[in-house]
Amino acid sequence: MAVIEVTNLKKSFAHQEVLKDISFKVEQGEVIAVIGSSGSGKSTLLRCLIDLEKVEGGSINMEGSPLVEDGVYCSKKQAREVTEKMGMVFQQFNLFPNLNVRDNLMLAPRLVKKEPEKVLQERAARLLQKVGLSHKDTAYPSLLSGGEQQRVAIARALMMEPELLLFDEPTSSLDPELTGEVLQVIRQLAREQMTMIVVTHEMGFAREAASRVIFMDQGRIEEEGPPEQIFNSPKQERTKLFLNSVFK
Amino acid sequence: MAYFSKIMPLLLEGTKMTLVLWTLTMVLSLPLGFLVSLAVRSRIRPLQWFMEMYIYIMRGTPLMLQLMFVYYGLPFIPVVGPFLRFSRLMAAVFAFTLNYAAYFAEILRGGFLAVPKGQYEACQVLSLNRFQTMTRVIIPQMIRVALPGITNETITLVKDTSLAYVIALAELMHGAKATVSRDSNPMAYIYAGLIYLVIVFVVTIMFKKLEGRYKLQEK
Repeated sequence: MAVIEVTNLKKSFAHQEVLKDISFKVEQGEVIAVIGSSGSGKSTLLRCLIDLEKVEGGSINMEGSPLVEDGVYCSKKQAREVTEKMGMVFQQFNLFPNLNVRDNLMLAPRLVKKEPEKVLQERAARLLQKVGLSHKDTAYPSLLSGGEQQRVAIARALMMEPELLLFDEPTSSLDPELTGEVLQVIRQLAREQMTMIVVTHEMGFAREAASRVIFMDQGRIEEEGPPEQIFNSPKQERTKLFLNSVFK
Repeated sequence: MAYFSKIMPLLLEGTKMTLVLWTLTMVLSLPLGFLVSLAVRSRIRPLQWFMEMYIYIMRGTPLMLQLMFVYYGLPFIPVVGPFLRFSRLMAAVFAFTLNYAAYFAEILRGGFLAVPKGQYEACQVLSLNRFQTMTRVIIPQMIRVALPGITNETITLVKDTSLAYVIALAELMHGAKATVSRDSNPMAYIYAGLIYLVIVFVVTIMFKKLEGRYKLQEK
């Protein structure tokens, strides 16, 4: 069964259609890179998947349970159950500035998951080690660099043990020298078969870490396929134009 | 010095009343202001409009007028008037609480506005419910922003209690004025001024401590 399946998704802001008939499927362990110019609807798509935005038509199914079916949303309770299986990492990190690194990680699982404190403590320690920030566990977010904050945000999302992790331009607000450390962590997750959808402008990363690339243009999926195909022999004119402008 | 110790008991009696009024107003108006700030942000339109109107009236008319209206005006209302005869202290507490709650509501609303939308979204994707989101993430950040404004209002309230003079509440200002008239000696005003300064000093220290607690930890 697909981890997430999206069919005929439609969404508009005011009178502008931002998502026009989007359909795709993500299988367990896949890493999807979503590329495309600004305003193509990539971020909106991601936000719809995790219920931060509402769609007007189409369906979103997570492991067979619908979040929305033919434009009709399921109950709030079920929506929570569905979105609880997803995690999201934002462009602006959105760490909680009133909590230190460890409490940023622990807050949600403590309140939402009914797991013993000891299990959560161990998980937090393991995840901080994974993102290379064990030594910062009592630091407050304001004292961390952007790259460190984003790595904490990834660890925080992983604390909930999501089956699908969404990244909304995770490196777009970072200085160039800090993007590497964040992409490194995402690559590591890819090697561990974490299912991920990554909206990104980092073409190098998309080419090398993604198992599949989706190119979006004006609210449509214009082309999708393995990275070699998209980057080396794109079929659609718009894909070629976009890649040309990016690699100029 | 002899005069000082002669009039001090009366002034201290007034000070006690001033502190009672200040404390009751604080204890009642802060929670009320918090509820009003939530109501102003409510999605229920009529509630939102009602609260905006309330804030407008409270901020748009003199506190002295409100005070006089509650004490002298309300009993004239037909039918219910006789039940609205408050003691001087209760009338003062009632008027001050309604007035200060409106100001506190606006300060807290400003604090809420200062919390970025991304904080709510982060809570949502981490499956926190509304209550957890507010109590664990939003309100702590809101308080940090709102606290300096609240400190300011709190200090203003110490001095505003003297307005209760107009309904003859036996607070510090009332005591000072009575003493000056009786003895034809202005020293009571000076002592009263010093007492206000001492109270404001203590309140300032208290709130500075509180602000320190809510400051973003840097270490």
